[in-house]
Amino acid sequence: MRNIWRFIAVIAIIIFLNVDPSSMVKVAAEDISVGYIDSDQGRFHILDEAIQAANEGDTLHVFGGVHSSPVMISKSLSLIGHNRPVLDGENRGTVVKVTAPNVLIQGFTIANSGQSLDEENSGISVEASGVTVQGNQFENTLFGVYLKEAPNSQIRDNIIHTKSLDLPRRGDPIRVWYSNDVLIENNEITEGRDVILWYSERLIIRGNNVSGGRYGLHFMYCDDTTVENNWLVNNSVGAFLMYSRRLRFNRNYVSNNRGPSGFGVGLKDMDDAIIRHNLFVDNRIGASLDNSPREVDSTVLFDGNIFSFNDIGIKFTPSVRKNQFTNNSFEDNLEQVSIAGTTKFLDNLWSVDGIGNYWSDYVGYDADYDGKGDIPYESRKLFEQVLATHPNLRLFLFSPAVQSIDLAAKALPTIQPKPKLIDENPLMNISVPPATSIVVDSSSRPITILSLSLFLTVGALVYAPGLLTRQFDKNPPKKLPAEDSVLIVSGLTKRFDRVPIVKDISFSILPGEAVALWGSNGAGKSTLIHCILGIIPSEGKVNIGPLDLGNNPKDFRKSVGFVPQEINFHPDLDVLETLDFYSGLRRAHKSVGEKLLEDLDLYGHSNKKVGQLSGGLKQRLALALALLSDPPVLVLDEPTTNLDSNTRANFLTYLNELKTGGKTLIFASHRLEDVMHLADRVLVVEKGQVKKDCPVNIFSESIAENAI
Amino acid sequence: MSIFSVLVIARKEFRDAKRNRWLILYALIFGALSFSIVWLALSGTSSYSSVGFGRTAASLINMVILIVPLMGLTLGSLSVAGERDKKTMLYLLAQPVTKLEIIIGKYLGLSLALIVSLICGFGVTGIFIAVKAGSLQPILYAAFIFLTILLALISLSFGFLISVLVQKSVTAISTALFVWLFLVLFTDLGLMGTALVLNLRVRELFIITLSNPLQVYKIATILTLRGSLEVLGPGGIYATRTYGSILLPGLIAIMSASIIIPLGICYSVLCRKKDLR
Repeated sequence: MRNIWRFIAVIAIIIFLNVDPSSMVKVAAEDISVGYIDSDQGRFHILDEAIQAANEGDTLHVFGGVHSSPVMISKSLSLIGHNRPVLDGENRGTVVKVTAPNVLIQGFTIANSGQSLDEENSGISVEASGVTVQGNQFENTLFGVYLKEAPNSQIRDNIIHTKSLDLPRRGDPIRVWYSNDVLIENNEITEGRDVILWYSERLIIRGNNVSGGRYGLHFMYCDDTTVENNWLVNNSVGAFLMYSRRLRFNRNYVSNNRGPSGFGVGLKDMDDAIIRHNLFVDNRIGASLDNSPREVDSTVLFDGNIFSFNDIGIKFTPSVRKNQFTNNSFEDNLEQVSIAGTTKFLDNLWSVDGIGNYWSDYVGYDADYDGKGDIPYESRKLFEQVLATHPNLRLFLFSPAVQSIDLAAKALPTIQPKPKLIDENPLMNISVPPATSIVVDSSSRPITILSLSLFLTVGALVYAPGLLTRQFDKNPPKKLPAEDSVLIVSGLTKRFDRVPIVKDISFSILPGEAVALWGSNGAGKSTLIHCILGIIPSEGKVNIGPLDLGNNPKDFRKSVGFVPQEINFHPDLDVLETLDFYSGLRRAHKSVGEKLLEDLDLYGHSNKKVGQLSGGLKQRLALALALLSDPPVLVLDEPTTNLDSNTRANFLTYLNELKTGGKTLIFASHRLEDVMHLADRVLVVEKGQVKKDCPVNIFSESIAENAI
Repeated sequence: MSIFSVLVIARKEFRDAKRNRWLILYALIFGALSFSIVWLALSGTSSYSSVGFGRTAASLINMVILIVPLMGLTLGSLSVAGERDKKTMLYLLAQPVTKLEIIIGKYLGLSLALIVSLICGFGVTGIFIAVKAGSLQPILYAAFIFLTILLALISLSFGFLISVLVQKSVTAISTALFVWLFLVLFTDLGLMGTALVLNLRVRELFIITLSNPLQVYKIATILTLRGSLEVLGPGGIYATRTYGSILLPGLIAIMSASIIIPLGICYSVLCRKKDLR
């Protein structure tokens, strides 16, 4: 027991040491003091006044404070915040509106815009070129940064968290509208609606982290745009690319974009797009292609991407053609490539310049070690083909039945579908995109704690039954006084399939009396005993004193010890375990069992398996078990059948001692010596009836006269 | 009913189960398979340090659906029938215990043994995930374990029912294997065929799918781990949209009913059965 507590203490210390102390430290409240503004025109305490007084090209240093909005900037100024000053819109309209070119806004918290979608209430609204919004934090604004015809602007290093509203009522964290040559870089955007990039060419979208929104990035008519090194996770769609030419989508990490659309990247009417070296992981659909490319002489190239663990790697709408796939890795997507409907792939290349793609379900080989499989990869799973026309059956995914369908199709070529696609030069190894530096937050501490807790639980479960039974053991049952233990059997009848085996038997046995049931094999002795014990149901009544078998079978059986004819205990338990089990059932203390083992000379066999005991030892063990609860009545079914003469003599002597000690004995036997040695009275059973009930001396005379 | 007697029988059953070669074999297979699946899943992704536990779990779900019902059904089917085969039931019935106490005690003991072997398997796997620094939310892993335990208890209940209905352990174990095959394979194949022939609508298909407790487990697990059922296509989306937040409790209620109902039938059969020896 002490060891267990020690173990628990050690685990508790480990768990305690695993708790991150920093999580206990309360972050101190930000001290927001009244701010001031230093500019070339002097010191101000009201931002609006400072802006009014400033000349074109001035720099305003804003030190702390909360400044109410709207802040209107119609001059080319630089506003640089120190100690994170707050521009507070007080939930009305747009917080900062910029109408002059070449403005810099840096280091502010922009908070609390209005909530009107029609008025497009924003954190910062820009309607001039060359504006830089850098290093600001947006809190509770409807839109974040809105560039309207603001070419050559930059949005960099901002943290944008828009108003927490239902998705349709949210604003866009960034909206770029008719603004060419914009740079959007290193922003952290959470839970907005869409990052909208429309009608704007030559954009550079780089190193942003967009999560929790609807469309992570949504492009329309954005020719010659570059999208690289962004994290697009937990959105409904990672990036939707539409109606654009020559867009380059490179080295982005696109993961866990799910929902009814659930695309990692969606391409609609895109021409000459290059999708290169991206990771598409755990999305509903890694990439969705809809009418892309659109123009006759254009293509879309997928090169060196990884599509891993998506429900569908790439999904094509019907009639999508002229896409090229090379050096991509399709790893364990539930469906590697899917095509809607029953249309076949047309003119899509799965191998460019002799370089195909890696397929995790490829079962070919590479005998010449050139890194390419020697036989083509063919995607032709029967269930996937069924799904194309019956998508409802997707409900059965992960079911072994699905695998059995595909196995059956492999085994029976007649039902195997035609290949969906053929990659003539499949790669043998995953091609990891260069310079992919994805760091997944994966602290192993919580799972370590969980695993250790699991083992603690196992420990607790293993000890639980033992501990619980010990708790309940404190209330031993009441015992029936020996003088009350008259066994009365009346009208006992047992039928098997309407054939009576025991017929209307009645008798009673006084305390301390030993009664033998005498009869040939098949006379019904054992059945009568089983009926008396209630092992099989019967008609009639059986009582021991006030205890009725029918009404109170448990207490009744507690007052009866039973030694069966065939000793069948659980052979895998040893003697002590057997004793322990039946002591529990009969609510006997451990010491009683130990004493009985000594009395019956079984102590030396305590650790032997019951299956290894001889017939005599088993019989003694059965008697020990029968005596565990010190019952007033003992029922024995042919107790000496399997014993040699010496063992039988000892056994009978012990039974005699028990009788002398006041136990009531009823035993079945067809051995005359046993009956003469032990019985006071004999019930002669024949064809299920008691033919004679007489004292043992009369019985012996009848035997001598061959009357029985 | 005496809790004490139930606990005594449960303790003995648990002790027996620890020596049961079937259980040890199953536990080893379960542990080895879950470990291998996670090992494969995690080592395959180490090249770019990314892993979706959802996908690891998908393989685990598949394995659990195959192995765990087999564990429960065979163990359960041997419980009463095995006792009869060894002729130990007669002596047990002569003790001061009721049939209900025997059934519940045996069920508790075997449940405990199953739970311990499952938790050991999951524990080893969990530690491996921790060592390999896989991204895994402990609460989701714990929920997955909980649902798997429910599945084990369901199959154990079905096993008990088989055990009571048949006389010999050989018959019991062959029936258990057939039921396993039926639940794992034939039910789903039949449902798919029915859906194709009758052109069942999403709603009807989803509801009849719930007739297979293994599917209920699968749906509940995916819902817990992913937070939605969209991976299961229109049927899954229909279920999440129609039943919303009551879907998971509903599925757990169906699983709980699948534990209690077979056990109840088992007890009633036992009470009607005239000779249990």
